Amino acid sequence: MRSSRRDFLARSVQMGVLLGAGVPLLQACGGDTQRTKVSKPIADGLQPEKGPLRIINYDDYVSPDVIADFEREYGVSVEITIITTDSEATTKLASGAIQADVHHSIANYTVGALVERGWLQPLNKSYLTNRGNVLANFDDPWYDAGSTYTVPYTFFGTGLGYRRDRIDPADVEADGWDALWNATGFKGQVSVLDDEREALVMAMLRRGLTDVNTTDQAVIDQALADLVELIDSVNVKVNIQGYQDLPEGTSTIAQVWSADPVTGAINYLPEGVPAEVLGFWHPPAGEYVVANDNIGIVSNAANPVLAHLYIDYLLDNAVSEKNFSYLGYLPALTKLDADYLIGQGYVPEHLRNCVPTSEEIAQALVFKPLSNEGRALYETAWSKFKTGG
Amino acid sequence: MTAVVTSGKRRSTAVWATFALPGVAWLVAFFLVSVYAVMAVAFGSVDPLLRTTVPQWNPLQWDYAAMRNVLDRVFGGDLGHVFVRTGAFVGSALLGCIVVGYPVAYFVARKAHRHRGLLLVALVLPFWISYLMRMLAWANLLQPDGYVNRILSWLPFFDTHRTWLDGDWYTVVIGLVYGYVPFFILPLYATLERIDGRLIEAGRDLGASSFSTFVHVTLPLSIPGLMAASVITILPMCGDYYTNTYLSRGSPRTEMVGNQIDYFLRNSSQPQTGASLVLLLMAFLFVLMVYYLVITVRQQRAAER
Repeated sequence: MRSSRRDFLARSVQMGVLLGAGVPLLQACGGDTQRTKVSKPIADGLQPEKGPLRIINYDDYVSPDVIADFEREYGVSVEITIITTDSEATTKLASGAIQADVHHSIANYTVGALVERGWLQPLNKSYLTNRGNVLANFDDPWYDAGSTYTVPYTFFGTGLGYRRDRIDPADVEADGWDALWNATGFKGQVSVLDDEREALVMAMLRRGLTDVNTTDQAVIDQALADLVELIDSVNVKVNIQGYQDLPEGTSTIAQVWSADPVTGAINYLPEGVPAEVLGFWHPPAGEYVVANDNIGIVSNAANPVLAHLYIDYLLDNAVSEKNFSYLGYLPALTKLDADYLIGQGYVPEHLRNCVPTSEEIAQALVFKPLSNEGRALYETAWSKFKTGG
Repeated sequence: MTAVVTSGKRRSTAVWATFALPGVAWLVAFFLVSVYAVMAVAFGSVDPLLRTTVPQWNPLQWDYAAMRNVLDRVFGGDLGHVFVRTGAFVGSALLGCIVVGYPVAYFVARKAHRHRGLLLVALVLPFWISYLMRMLAWANLLQPDGYVNRILSWLPFFDTHRTWLDGDWYTVVIGLVYGYVPFFILPLYATLERIDGRLIEAGRDLGASSFSTFVHVTLPLSIPGLMAASVITILPMCGDYYTNTYLSRGSPRTEMVGNQIDYFLRNSSQPQTGASLVLLLMAFLFVLMVYYLVITVRQQRAAER
């Protein structure tokens, strides 16, 4: 049955009305990105709220036992919303899709934007009685002057994890980043981190370029070409599963974060495989990229006092140790240094270099926030790499 | 007399239209509006600090730069490979679905008799387990020391050290076939089951062998089902990005369009690029859908004649 022209017009008008009604509704979903910086912390000496405390965090990025202990101690419940990437957290927070008190894992380069856009509130240090436990390196970090809005959660450097039973540690020490390009005997068992800046910058560092925040197209193109070479020469994989694939043996050499071999040794070694099979190499201080995740309190938190108490709880040495024994990711606390963690049996002696030293943190190369145009250069190069070159 | 009939017809049309209303409203809310939202993102901008999407709802202010860039990269650039690769994976997987699924659908529809109910339950059973869980299970089975290699080691002439998860196209295709074959079998089953048995008997009575009856009677009559089954499997396969990720541990050799969409939308400061890719993929699939509809309508007309 063919509809008449009049029917068609009537329907078009109805449709128009429907869409017209929809647009303002949709606009409301866009969220409000024009908030202004919050500069006043909460008052001293307030009573904690009744909760529930709402946390945004990566999956498995805090010990469930630590959470349960906190719930018991403060008589509140804790709800964790899982996010998979730093930018997903920002998007959901800014669009109002997530209402949260604590943002558990903010990347260094995101802190500034969240502060400027008014999504974090300054911390009231009178609640943070354990703040003194934190490494002095983080008293005045580049991303948050005076550590006003955040405290560091975990920190880690970027290096190579490898199997010492398959590759001679002396070779990796001699070759450095080249060890990844030289692993032609281990095709399919080589991986780089699934992160455009980490992987492309690795290729730059291999060529001795230490400006890890460059937006020079020629440098990025060269780094892309170097990564593409890995597709054919070693059948490279792109993932962040090194902490599991190295101990399980499906990977032989991988770009990893320094915490990965430690987590791998704690949680992922198959029965009968000794921790000695895992090795880690990182570049010397001055060429070593070290980053950390940060905890902050969301500006419109419903439970800001409780959120302060939670952060303080995590900064307690014993709590942090318990958390570390689950995570394998280093807390930025002075007491939990390499000697202590090795002494307690958490970190095998031969993985001592997985714990960045105070000097290494002080001289670390850091990923600073880039302009959108700058980021786009990395992202486009990365997208090209992932298409297979 | 004519007037009465017409008004009666009108009333019944109105009744049916009322029944259809919730469905139509649903489609408008969750299809048209969401497509419009994708367009608003594709032609919108990004917050310079937070790098979050700022959709542009006003079509007069749309900015087509990202789409132009994507078109450049797809036609004659590196993203072209990804579309071709996705097409090749989906095409091979569809072929696999036909080879595996057709005999199963045929058997259940026409030969299973009283076991049919049980077999149908068995076909629906995989849906009880999340797709992701099933893919993770495959990743385990296909590990170098996994069960697949252990079973193959009992057979002669097989390389038992075969690595399945190293970014090989066939592993991804196997995964896609496994994942989507139930979607393929069910609509095909529905068509095969409805074929009038007397037509097949007539074919046999007229002296055709069972093979030739199948080729000249059953197969042509099942084409609409085959088409529907293909469409139902092709559409989700084209947007798939987890099957290849899990079954190649993130090898650039198996990157599909879905992975690029995922990257740009979820993990980059260029959500416009991701949304543009979504629109482009939709445009390709739309052509396919129109072709399917044209064929279906033509067949219906032919059948009515």
